[in-house]
Amino acid sequence: MTHAIDVRQLHKSFGDLEVLKGIDFTVNAGEVVCVLGPSGSGKSTLLRCLNRLEESNSGTILIDGEDITDIDADVDQLRSNIGMVFQQFNLFPHLTVLKNLTVAQTGVLKRPKDEAIGIAREMLDRVGLSDKIHEYPAHLSGGQAQRVAIARALSMKPKMMLFDEPTSALDPELVGEVLDVMRTLAGEGMTMMVVTHEIGFAQEVADRVVFMDDGVVVEEGSPEAVLRNPNEERTKQFLRMVLET
Amino acid sequence: MTTLTPRQRARYYQIAMYLAAAVITVVIVFAADWSKIQKNFFNPEIAADMFPEVITSAVKNTALYTLLSFVLGMVLALGLALMRLSSLKAFRAFAIGYIELFRGLPALITLLFVGFGLPIAFSGFRIPGGVLGRGSVGLALVAGAYMAETIRAGIEAVPKGQTEAARSLGMSQTRTMFTIILPQAFRIIIPPLTNELVLLIKDTSLFFILGSTPGTKELTKFARDFMNAERNATPLTVVAALYLLITLPLTFLVRRLERSAAKAR
Repeated sequence: MTHAIDVRQLHKSFGDLEVLKGIDFTVNAGEVVCVLGPSGSGKSTLLRCLNRLEESNSGTILIDGEDITDIDADVDQLRSNIGMVFQQFNLFPHLTVLKNLTVAQTGVLKRPKDEAIGIAREMLDRVGLSDKIHEYPAHLSGGQAQRVAIARALSMKPKMMLFDEPTSALDPELVGEVLDVMRTLAGEGMTMMVVTHEIGFAQEVADRVVFMDDGVVVEEGSPEAVLRNPNEERTKQFLRMVLET
Repeated sequence: MTTLTPRQRARYYQIAMYLAAAVITVVIVFAADWSKIQKNFFNPEIAADMFPEVITSAVKNTALYTLLSFVLGMVLALGLALMRLSSLKAFRAFAIGYIELFRGLPALITLLFVGFGLPIAFSGFRIPGGVLGRGSVGLALVAGAYMAETIRAGIEAVPKGQTEAARSLGMSQTRTMFTIILPQAFRIIIPPLTNELVLLIKDTSLFFILGSTPGTKELTKFARDFMNAERNATPLTVVAALYLLITLPLTFLVRRLERSAAKAR
């Protein structure tokens, strides 16, 4: 069986700074993988390489068995199949919530307008924000904005979802509502890769946890194995630090 | 002598300033020769003579020249701004060269080149549309250079995350630019673009060097000819008022646009 995501020997440098030092890594279809690690460990860069927001220097990335680092790969087509959620939400402020959800459906996927609106309503319902459909993003709380961003990504009916620290920019009391939506999504069998600092979420929802540090995968395994009984000293250190604060 | 509290001192200072202003006004009012000023600058008969042509012809022409220059300049500026931000070095170099060249030249020189240089260089070639065509193309060449820098600044002011979000949804670079980035960029640069429009309104007064027929005179040329014919400065006053009549509502409108844009954010 081909993996949903299959990364082999991925290297990435920004100038002289080597951020990814040969990453090997897979995600199966329907699996939820949480990536943990200190800031600067390369986890966000890894995520951004998967839909080529960053171009890797060497190595291969197979998405559903297809090599996306190939120079002839259709990047736009690839990206429309991979939903991405950002730390800063990145909703389009000049468009209403509805327009945020339909602009790429009609423009990229060429769905008829009625169908796109129908899908948008369905996705907003899923994140519990049907009543905000005609609002502008400025009138949403951080938690609502992030849920709309998730709905926007889901509107494309992607095969998998990437989350880049989706709760890091939120006030503590708003984190829960976003994690709830993600938990539901995971329960529905969505393939998810989540870069996060939410250890509790990883423990509860992840099928597998990957710990990264300094551009390499230090340790991976079930949440119990990595979070409760880590083998590596670096993992233990990181967990001590995170759990103390 | 009693010392003053800060509040009292501020009040006396204010009173002194008002007094000074009043004295200066009185001096000017009595020193000026009002009958002479009235006769030379505010002569009602001469002012009345200017109508309706000053509106039906001069204001109309000024508006037409401005609008066409602005539209052409905007198209040019958008192209230049995109070239300026292109990943192709040749495009960037061209845009920079163009912008520096036309910002460095007086608009009058550009107009002369377009009006008289081109027909000499390419014998027989004339930009169509007479004064309107030649003048507007000339001004657009200049305005395009200025507005290109404004548009570029607007594009760069849109957060990078917007591009990333759009691209991650599968939008192409072009679609991202036109549906996501530019609408936000233009909202940011409405105030400087209006400045540019107001400058253009005033720059159309340079069109006189392209020659004029009675039908193609804009406000300033119209006023100058009228002034020479009547040996009186009243036409200038009338035209100055008309310029303000155009520019002031414009700036007012923009302020309202800005406010509603700020609300939508």
